[in-house]
Amino acid sequence: MTSKSKSAAGNSLSAQLKAAVLNEFSWIWGGTIVLFVVCAFVTPGVVEPSAISSMLPFAAVLGITAVGMTIVIQQRGLDMSLPGIMTISGLAFAQIGFSTGSSLLAVPLTLIFAMAIGIVNGLLVAKVNITPIVTTLATNAILMGGVRAISGGSPMTAPAELAQFSHSKLFGVPMTLILALLFIIVVSLVTKRTIAGRRFVAVGANPAAATAAGIPILRYQVATYAIAAICFAVAGMLFTGFIGSASQTAGVDYLLPAIAAVVVGGTPFTGGRGSVIASGVAALFMTLLGQMVLALGADTSVQLLVQSAVIIVAVAIRQLPAILRHFR
Amino acid sequence: MAKDKLLLEMQGVSKHFPGVRALHDITFDVRAGEVHGLVGENGAGKSTLMGVASGALQATEGTVRIDGTVMSADPEYARELGLAIVRQEPALMPDLSVAENLYLGLPQSRRPSLSGLNDWARKLLQHWSKDVSIDPRDHITTLNPEQRFIVEIVKALECEPKVLVLDEPTEHLTSADVQRLFDRVRAVTARGAAVVYISHRIREVQAIADRLTVLRDGEGQGTFNARELEEDQIVSLIVGGNLDQTFPEKAGEGQRRTVLAARDFSGPGFSNVTLEVKAGEILGLAGIDANGQREFMRALAGIYRGRGHLTLDGKDIQINSSQAASALSISYLPGDRHREGIFPDLSVRENFSIRSPRADTRLGFVSAASELRRTADAIRQFAVKTPSGETPIRSLSGGNQQKVVLSSVLAMRPKVLLVDEPTQGVDVGARAEIYKVIREAARSGMAVILVSSDQQEVAGLSDHVAIFSRGRVVEMLTGDRVTEDNITASVLKSTEQRDKHHKELGAFWKWAAGNVAPLVMVGTAIILLGAIAGMWNPFYLSPRSLSNIMMLSATLAMVAYGQQFLMLVSGIDLAVGPTMGLVQIVASFFLIKDAGIGLHGMGWVLVLATAMAVGLINWMLVEGLRLHPMVATLATYMSVQAVSLFLRPVPAGPIDPGLLDLLNMKVGIVPVTFIAAVLMALVMEYFLFRRSLGISMRGLGSRQEAARTAGIRPVMVRLIAYVGCSVFAGFAAVTMFAQVGIGDPRAGLGYTLGSIAAVVIGGASLFGGRGSFIGALLGAIFISQVNSVTVFLRLTQEWQQYLLGFLILASVALYSKSREKVVQA
Repeated sequence: MTSKSKSAAGNSLSAQLKAAVLNEFSWIWGGTIVLFVVCAFVTPGVVEPSAISSMLPFAAVLGITAVGMTIVIQQRGLDMSLPGIMTISGLAFAQIGFSTGSSLLAVPLTLIFAMAIGIVNGLLVAKVNITPIVTTLATNAILMGGVRAISGGSPMTAPAELAQFSHSKLFGVPMTLILALLFIIVVSLVTKRTIAGRRFVAVGANPAAATAAGIPILRYQVATYAIAAICFAVAGMLFTGFIGSASQTAGVDYLLPAIAAVVVGGTPFTGGRGSVIASGVAALFMTLLGQMVLALGADTSVQLLVQSAVIIVAVAIRQLPAILRHFR
Repeated sequence: MAKDKLLLEMQGVSKHFPGVRALHDITFDVRAGEVHGLVGENGAGKSTLMGVASGALQATEGTVRIDGTVMSADPEYARELGLAIVRQEPALMPDLSVAENLYLGLPQSRRPSLSGLNDWARKLLQHWSKDVSIDPRDHITTLNPEQRFIVEIVKALECEPKVLVLDEPTEHLTSADVQRLFDRVRAVTARGAAVVYISHRIREVQAIADRLTVLRDGEGQGTFNARELEEDQIVSLIVGGNLDQTFPEKAGEGQRRTVLAARDFSGPGFSNVTLEVKAGEILGLAGIDANGQREFMRALAGIYRGRGHLTLDGKDIQINSSQAASALSISYLPGDRHREGIFPDLSVRENFSIRSPRADTRLGFVSAASELRRTADAIRQFAVKTPSGETPIRSLSGGNQQKVVLSSVLAMRPKVLLVDEPTQGVDVGARAEIYKVIREAARSGMAVILVSSDQQEVAGLSDHVAIFSRGRVVEMLTGDRVTEDNITASVLKSTEQRDKHHKELGAFWKWAAGNVAPLVMVGTAIILLGAIAGMWNPFYLSPRSLSNIMMLSATLAMVAYGQQFLMLVSGIDLAVGPTMGLVQIVASFFLIKDAGIGLHGMGWVLVLATAMAVGLINWMLVEGLRLHPMVATLATYMSVQAVSLFLRPVPAGPIDPGLLDLLNMKVGIVPVTFIAAVLMALVMEYFLFRRSLGISMRGLGSRQEAARTAGIRPVMVRLIAYVGCSVFAGFAAVTMFAQVGIGDPRAGLGYTLGSIAAVVIGGASLFGGRGSFIGALLGAIFISQVNSVTVFLRLTQEWQQYLLGFLILASVALYSKSREKVVQA
């Protein structure tokens, strides 16, 4: 009996290992490694240490936004208010920082502000039953109005401390990257290894079954949008610090890449399953790909074309077995 | 027609599902002019047999003939041959009106002209009953189950079928309607057609049927002349010896403490229920479906709200949510496994551990080792057949899924275990194991409550049985009296019909949920906003300002029509904005000054081809590669934009001023483009509500399965929708020439969000099935108006965005609330 149970557990352990290593989220690791190798041959300039260290902060900011987008998509949603939250957070930080003279105060205040926006998004989606894309499009419009009101249509200089922080390095690693890794690891650990995270996944996978199992689904749905908003706000502040000014359009260019990173990472739109790690790696992949295409002398148009091809290929590869089964 | 001609012949029919033998070698025939009753318990195979007859299911063995012709598994073919089936769950499209559902439900040759559709439908409904309470213009969502069933029957009768199959037709009907149904059934047989009448109400079958066939566990028990059998004989045929199922030993006599007690407990569907369940015992709740037993259990599980007095271990408790129930150690095994029991995409391990995560937590984190060990133990203990704990649960058979859910529920170590239909869709072997598990749970001291529509199961498992009828407990069986015969007798012999029940609705909510309300509300808002702005600043109402608003509205409206067209079939196109830009750029190469007629002609062809190509690509990505519409059109968004930037890295290429003059023409103060947009809206609206294609599109968006049974081909309709959407974006781009006048790759980008906002304000649902082109037009006018009004009201520019955001939220919240309110449970 005991030997039997041991072998059963052993089977499951190897099965779990297999499932953890070989699944739809592992493709992106292979893709990224291949891309690095290809770059080394085709555009060696892109993978030089200096080039990589100047690229990483951008990948990091994209990675943090992708973390937020991933958890919303895991709840069968989509957060189109990313540009609004990201932009207004950069501005709010600069504004509060200058008027109070304290960046230390500005950080928590900005985060609380972003969280409040996220909670409103979540309540509109979960309680008032407005489709996520419509809710967040509308809140995004309101936020962009706010952006205009705060900025008056022109960028604000970022507080010096923030710029310093965004450019600082810890043991030679850019601070932005450390923060991005921190986000990815913490969110991944929470969703995979805590009770709250398990319930969060269950609510996304099947809200009705989650209710029947005694899980308070409203709380999880609202929290998802709140945490996503915090991710976007942190990305907004880092970006502001990095480019040295709080622009009135900072977040606009991050919406599509963030969604693209989630899709390429392999998180499906069907809810429940998802991987913030894969999204983070995909953010690196997309940024590196962009650099490579640029180095090849191509312009924005080719960049876009390559990105959209990557999205289609990434999704199609994972669908391939199902499609083949369908035609057989 | 000859009296003994066979209209439906089924010979040696067997049907196997993975792991379950649903039908075994059944021979069943139906004569012209007869009512043939088909009786048996739940799961006996009645519905499966009729599924095979109607072509919805493919028989594993055997042949089916309808009126002498051999059938294949094709519902459309069965319908052509003259078989109509009325299902327990009507196959209706919820967002369409009653009249439209009747229309789509008929074969093409029998459909009336659409001009007098509502009158035609009213007449059909009046055939049913002179004082019918159903308005043909009502949406199906606003009907109660009884009314929906009547619509379904009327639809089936109108096809004048040779064989009419009625599956449990009286479940939702009042006694007056049962009489009407019987009259109509007799009328059908009088004209020489046949009726198959499926029911578990024996008295009804005796009253209407000429012959009857009994099914038990997928096997035929013989066909009899209905007059020759007594009720009790039929009951024993249905129940049979039933020695094939073994149940574990019951609890027996003994002093036990009461765990959960309800006194005068009422809720949706049940009232004044007083029951108690003791530790170590199983209390069975029996009754015909929807008589309150399941609702009572769901109220104990915290899913429905109940009122009254509850005690747990002698202490007063309140159960306001499912979370509260599980905190009180009351755990629930849902009856609808697919909807509420499993998390289909998650692994067996995750499905198992989700209800008892605390057992695996060490210092706040889930221990993988502990979780794996518990999962492996559960798989072994419950003999779950699965390749591994990491297999997604959806790939397991029904019985194994159920064992996982049951093991998960038991792992909570509850005081009270609520079990709803524990063996639905479970094969015989697994059933015995599940029975043993439930009995073991009781023996370990849990109090168990069981709901099942399988009387044998209730009898075999329960120590006490409460019989529910119309929401009340009408009888208690205890000890030796808990036998299948007793339960079946008291359940089946009840002839009580239900009262008419209809949720009362405020007139406002009903109106607000209709098709017209968004138009009236947005129209009123436009006029109000215009009036206020005009009073504040007379320049707002100047011809110049009005023309300008109309011009901008025309462009936004046209692209919104495209979005609306696609949204009707639950699609969405994020690429409309870039598509507009690309069309404009193509035009900037060909539609230029002094280019000559040839180049201009080619330009127009290319403009159209470009738009159609984008639509076609979108459709191929969604249909062929199964991409989510949002992902697919996001990818085309990027690639279309790439092509635009490639062709025109910077804005260039002025468009022929002659063409611009043409597009800028006005009739009075009204631009021609605006007139075109209004005309388009009217024509499209006409097609949407008064033409077969439009109704089919709405039907498809409303419910794909129902649309398919009505003969709509989803793939083709979606092709039309995707291409149509891009073509409208192309029209919008043409009107945009007049505003931009040059090939600008970024000119269209804002229209993606604008078009979604316009249709949503106009009342469209992103889930498909609902929408209106006039609504989209009004939405577009409203948005253009909001964009320009801020200037005249001397508001700062950010007010444009504030107003837009708040207006979207306000309108959608109102639509969403009203549509939620009118849905009949």
